[in-house]
Amino acid sequence: QQFSELTEVLFRFLTEPKEVERFLAQLSDFATMNKISLGPLKNIVKSILLVPNGALKRNLSSEQVKADFIALGLSEEKASYFAEQWKVNSPTLTRLAVGQTLMINQLIDMEWKFGVTAGSSELEKVGSIFLQLKLVIKKGSQLENVYVELTLPQFYSFLHEMERVKTSLESFS
Amino acid sequence: MAALREEEFVALQSLPEGERAPAAGDGVPGPAAGAAAAERPTLCSRQAPSKDACGSMLPGVLSPARPPRSARWPARLPLARRRPRGSEQLVSALHNLTRHVVYRGLTRAEDILSLFPENFHQNLKNLLTKIILENISAWRNEAQASQISLPRLVDMDWRVDIKTSSDSIIRMAVPTCLLQLKIQEDAALCGNNPVVSALTVELSKETLDTMLEGLGRIRDQLSAVANK
Repeated sequence: QQFSELTEVLFRFLTEPKEVERFLAQLSDFATMNKISLGPLKNIVKSILLVPNGALKRNLSSEQVKADFIALGLSEEKASYFAEQWKVNSPTLTRLAVGQTLMINQLIDMEWKFGVTAGSSELEKVGSIFLQLKLVIKKGSQLENVYVELTLPQFYSFLHEMERVKTSLESFS
Repeated sequence: MAALREEEFVALQSLPEGERAPAAGDGVPGPAAGAAAAERPTLCSRQAPSKDACGSMLPGVLSPARPPRSARWPARLPLARRRPRGSEQLVSALHNLTRHVVYRGLTRAEDILSLFPENFHQNLKNLLTKIILENISAWRNEAQASQISLPRLVDMDWRVDIKTSSDSIIRMAVPTCLLQLKIQEDAALCGNNPVVSALTVELSKETLDTMLEGLGRIRDQLSAVANK
């Protein structure tokens, strides 16, 4: 019973690793409810957390996770419960881990506008279409804005190339 | 609005063109007399290069994008050797004329002919008009290509990679796209050496999907505008 609550808390933390304070608050609630002191509980939790993290790295199935826990000395029942939870949550956890993988100059956002050039200092009447893109790129830990202008034929070939990329990416998923 | 000042038309008239009867003081407008009138007889009496030399050399000199100061009259012409300052004025006058024609977008011979004053030498007028008409579309394109703008896209390359492992997951197969954009800074700022910078951007599948959605919307709007 206690174990299932604890497992729940653990998994909630794993699926939302940014909610550290909430995790700690829930842990201390758990401790007071069950009359365990917080210090040893934290140590236990730390060691428990090692198992899912290692499992995630190595893409272990739930049976393997269960076997690991049993080898570490956990009772059969608790290990199966944990393994069940693991099966349920592993897609989310895997996605999170992939998201943490290194990305170079990741494109965060793209804004665009297009319009017509009416005239210039060289030509009184122009009437040509231009397209402007603002790409927001994450360089290291900073965001950088890149502004690019494209002519209409360039835009169409850009669109064409991006569609080819999409087909290529889809064939690999 | 007068395309050129009177002096400039006078300077244009000094453009040698075949055999011409030197007519000192012939039809020179009063206020513009000054130095130009004094020059004309001298220039007219010189040996004149043929029409073809004029026609082949003018387009290069006249390109409106080039500022007048840097356009020098080719040295092989007697004009430059004898009178460097006069040639500068002539070049500047020609330059202003072509700039005006390109600005207005005049494409018919009559429009261009109407720019010249009444007393302008007939053959010279026709020759200039003919040369301008031949080159006007090239000049317009040049002007459009060099107008101010945000940095322009010059080239684009892409590559699809599959990430097989990382420090957070040892085995995975995640496809990702690397896009390299070659961007050229504004031509006007860089003069003759445009700076081309290459930017490599990485896109995940989701980002690519969102981007394609946005690009698709742009295309729909463009076709809606085009069909109106």
